[in-house]
Amino acid sequence: MYGWIWRHLPGNAWLKALISLVLGLAVVYVLFQYVFPWAEPLLPFNDVTVDNQ
Amino acid sequence: MAATADETEAHQDASDPEPGPRRRPGRIALAVSVFGELLITAGVLLGLFVIYSLWWTNVIADRKADREADRVRDHWAHATDTGPGALDTKDGIGFLHVPAMRNGEVLVEKGTGTDVLDDGVAGYYTDPGRATLPTTGKKGNFTLAAHRDGHGAKFHNIDKLREGDPIVFETKDDWYVYKVYSILPETSKYNIKVLSSVPRESGREKPGHYITLTTCTPVYTSRYRYVVWGELVRVDKVDGRRTPPAELR
Repeated sequence: MYGWIWRHLPGNAWLKALISLVLGLAVVYVLFQYVFPWAEPLLPFNDVTVDNQ
Repeated sequence: MAATADETEAHQDASDPEPGPRRRPGRIALAVSVFGELLITAGVLLGLFVIYSLWWTNVIADRKADREADRVRDHWAHATDTGPGALDTKDGIGFLHVPAMRNGEVLVEKGTGTDVLDDGVAGYYTDPGRATLPTTGKKGNFTLAAHRDGHGAKFHNIDKLREGDPIVFETKDDWYVYKVYSILPETSKYNIKVLSSVPRESGREKPGHYITLTTCTPVYTSRYRYVVWGELVRVDKVDGRRTPPAELR
């Protein structure tokens, strides 16, 4: 999977490494900005109130 | 077994002195390596989620809470005296100071939904029971909730509170000084009786000016609720320099 991505990146090893880094950061950004905020309320880790539901 | 066979084959290939074009691995070896990469990815994802919920949400929430707190202070400083009863509930209504929690001041806003609490503030209950705000002067229970972990983690150190510790609520004109008199370290999340205007579980039978702090416990989970009750000791007027009461000095 990652090997396949690596082989399909353009340029020499340095350029590939740079592009990989940028791709990785983009993934982390999307996760922190969109995916985790969406997923968090669905997970039972952070309910602090008492209620009758 | 088949994978081992493939590996042996690969080793034989690798020992080949001819550095020919890269040989494609066998189908099973490929499946195993993709599966392994998926597992690694899942592990990294979970790790990132932990970093997100225990660190990044705090960064975001504290930033937002600080901005809101500045707005409230600004508002207080510039608001002309609108007389008693004029309460601005749109911004925060005041600040909670709990020296034993060592987290400075906590802005208090209306509501206990995630949209409120995720901004790094403490919220007063509007549901299931409505909190009695101390500013009304009526007897009742000032019920509050805040996050134990993440999103500012404003009640993270709630377990450091002991009986007799002060809880001070600061509004534009008054310091409400409460004293902790009862602690319930673990209760069901359905136990809404802890929010009653006379919280009998705390040992009180008569109406009074109570404050109730709720959050989740044990840390990093939401299995139970941790409850701390306090009772109003006195109300100090805020002076021109906003000198804090003795409990906060």
